[in-house]
This record gives sequence, C-alpha cells and structure tokens, in this order.
Amino acid sequence: MGTVAPIRMSTDTPDVMLTLAQWFSPAFPIGAFSFSHGLESLVETDEIRAAEDVEAWLNSVLNYGAGRNDVILMAASFRASSTEEIKEVDALARALSPSKERLLETEVQGEAFIRTINEVWGSDLPPLCYPVAIGASARTCGMPLHETACMYLHALTSSLVSAAIRIVPLGQTEGQSIVRTLAPLCDQLGSTYIDESLEAIGSSSFIGDIASMTHEDQYSRMFRS
Amino acid sequence: MPRQPRALGRLRVSSKARGERSVLDDLYQSGASKALLPRVSGRALTAVSLNTAGGITGGDRFDATISAGENSRLTMTTQAAERIYRAQPGEIGRMSTRLSVADGARIDWLPQETILFDHCAFERRLSAEITGNGRLLLVEPVLAGRRASREEVRTARFSDHYEIRRDGELVFADATRLTGDVAGHLDERFIAGGARAFASVVYVADDAESFLAPLKELMPERGGVSLIRPGVLFARLLAADGYLLRQSLVPVIERLQDAPIPRTWTI
Repeated sequence: MGTVAPIRMSTDTPDVMLTLAQWFSPAFPIGAFSFSHGLESLVETDEIRAAEDVEAWLNSVLNYGAGRNDVILMAASFRASSTEEIKEVDALARALSPSKERLLETEVQGEAFIRTINEVWGSDLPPLCYPVAIGASARTCGMPLHETACMYLHALTSSLVSAAIRIVPLGQTEGQSIVRTLAPLCDQLGSTYIDESLEAIGSSSFIGDIASMTHEDQYSRMFRS
Repeated sequence: MPRQPRALGRLRVSSKARGERSVLDDLYQSGASKALLPRVSGRALTAVSLNTAGGITGGDRFDATISAGENSRLTMTTQAAERIYRAQPGEIGRMSTRLSVADGARIDWLPQETILFDHCAFERRLSAEITGNGRLLLVEPVLAGRRASREEVRTARFSDHYEIRRDGELVFADATRLTGDVAGHLDERFIAGGARAFASVVYVADDAESFLAPLKELMPERGGVSLIRPGVLFARLLAADGYLLRQSLVPVIERLQDAPIPRTWTI
C-alpha cells in the first residue's frame, strides 16, 4: 500500500483557523443535521426534557462516549504512516459502533467529508468513517491535530445542540448557552486524548448505546440516528 | 507492603467433530486454571472452567485459548462467578482469551458473572477469529459490587476489550472502561442510570438477522439490540443487580443458543 501523501503546508492555503472553521461549519456538506446520536430516542422516552438534561447527556457523550473515542481514533489516523494503517484504524472505528444507526452516522458523515476534501483540496483519500476521515485529512492538509480535535468536539456539540433545539425543544439562546458551557470541556478533552494510543479506547455510555438501538424502532422520527 | 503471590493460569481447550457429536480434541491446563468436562446431552462439547485461586487480584494472569474445529460445537462456561478482588497499588490482574471458530463450527462463550470488588484493578481482552460460516455467541455479564451485600465499588480500574474477526475482517469491537468511583459513575443518568449490572451479548453468524425480532421482544426496559451489520447482532442490557440481570439475560441466551442454559448457571 502507498504511504500517506506528504504534509502540504503550501503558502497559498488559508490559515489553520479559517480552514478548520470551514471543515467544521454546519455548511460543510456532511449531513450532520440528519443524525441525533440517540438523542431522539431519549426525548421520546422523556429522559431528556429540558436544557439541563441535554447538557448532562452531552457531558456523558463527550467524556465517556463517542467524544473521547473519536479523538483517540482521529489521533491514530493522523499519526498513521501508511494508507494501510489508516484503513486499520478505520476498521476499528467502524467495528466499535454499538448499533446499526451509529455505524451509519459515522460512515455517511465520513464519506461525505472525504468526498469534499478530495474535491476541494485535491487529495486522494479513501472512504473513511468520520473521525478517521478528519484525522487523515488534517494530516494531508497540514492542519494541527490539537486544534482539529477541539474544533471537532465543538462541532459535534453544536450539531447535537441543534438537534436538541428542534426536538426537545429548546430555545436558540438556551442552546447557545449549552455550547458555551461545554466549550472548555471540548478544549480539555481535545488536549488530553490526542496523546493517547488506541489502547486507551473505551467508553461507558451504556444508556446512550441502548438509546441508539431502540431508536431503530421509534415510530415517528426526524433523524437517521 | 509485601507483594501478594501471583496466580497464573493457562487453559487450552479444543473440540472436534465426531459424527454428529463434538468431542475433546485437546486439553491443557496449568496453574490456577482447570477445566471440567461434564457429560451433557446434545451435540456440543461443554467445558466448565474453574479458577482454583478463588478469584483474581492484582498481578494475576490468566490466558485461555479455546478452539472449535471444523463442524464441532463447543460451549464454554465457568463453575462460578469470577471475583475480582482488591489489588495492591500499581498491580493489575489480567485475563486474555483467544477464541477460534473453524468453518461450520460454533463456540458459545457463556461465563457466569464477573464481579468487581472495591479497589480492584483488572484488564481483560478477548479476541475471536471466525472462519467461513462458523458461529460465535459471546455473553459477558459484569456486576459492580454486590448490591445484596451493600458492597459498592468506590475506586477501581476495569477495562474490557473485545475484537471479533471474520475471515480476517474486523467485524465487531467493544471496549468498556470504568475507572475511579465506579458506583458514582454508574449512577449518572446517561451512563447507567443507577444500574450495577450490565451485560454484552454478541452473536456473529450468517443467521444473526433472524434473531433480531425475537431478541427485541426479550429486551428489558433498559436494554437494546441491533443488527449492526449483516451477520453481527449486538445487545446491551442493564439491570439494578445481578439477580435482575439474569432474569433478562437467561432467556436471551436460551433463544440464541437454541438450548437450555449450561447447568452451572442454575445451581
């Protein structure tokens, strides 16, 4: 298998901040708006009814669920020395999905992310699931891992808060308060977990996993997960 | 503080087909690991593993290699629940298991509960390789403390990793990690909502999809099941304690096994 394309720190690319703002903008076409990560199921069962519930749920997702693991997977993908190694990280990331819809969530977003990166940045990355796609793209496009990880967690938080605004429902301002409250956590987790190896992968968000399973049978659904 | 003596155990069990039945192909046991081979009806060979050290503490090391040869069926269970006792600071108990399922074979991995005690430190890894249309059922119930005895796990370190490959392709992985105040953590609403017992059930087989609807019917209030991808069925179950976990878990196992639960579970 080929090696990873050399890091392209060309002078004609916009700076890091603007590139990452573009990648993690809701306008970047990965379809994040169609996934709720099990939130819709927790709303249906009345476990989430207000802003404080959404914040507590996001705390668990970030600290003990996909947030933590995604950063570790992203870092492993970023550091991979060959396409073969990236594909191994990708296989692990997919295999770790606890349900059909969580697998769909990471595959659909990752493949759309890679498609856009390949078209716009001229890279030649294979289809990858979302955190692995971000790690490989950051490496290929010369983005720093730490900032990429923090921006990713922040985007995940924002996207799930947007879902909450639609279905809990929450007010826009309440939603933005949650994002602001959780921003330091995104920064802290992004800093902590980029240095971990794949050995540190692990979660304990049992209720969230179960919610993503029971969502499959939910009668009325706005979201694909 | 003097170091505790370490328990070491190695176990190797394999089955082979003989006509319609499955029989022992190879058995190796050393240290604290033993296997009993009770006579049971049905076509599977049943092996019951036993930890003669009576539990696992920091520094202990257990390794098992379990194989089902072509067209044979092997059911593995344990004599009793596995108790993970207090570890000395800096010491970790480890258990490593490799399962290998040949074409046309089946392994049912059905240990009884693993019970975590306060101050335990335990790392467990299981990797399975399935060839062709081999089938694997994996069930792992875990209890944090014993609610009936009012024992809570206030500080511990537990990690549990699973990897299942089918014809070389990684088709399932799960990694549970609990550190620090486990009881407090499990009380969180979006972690385990106060549960002290949890179980993972994985069934990898060509006919996995046919069990999805029946298992959905058997899920407890806090449980879910999903056909994550073709041939891979995964369920997570939570319960307040070990007794309630068994009430929902045993029917699930019996449905997936198409046979009664191993007798050690019921005595």
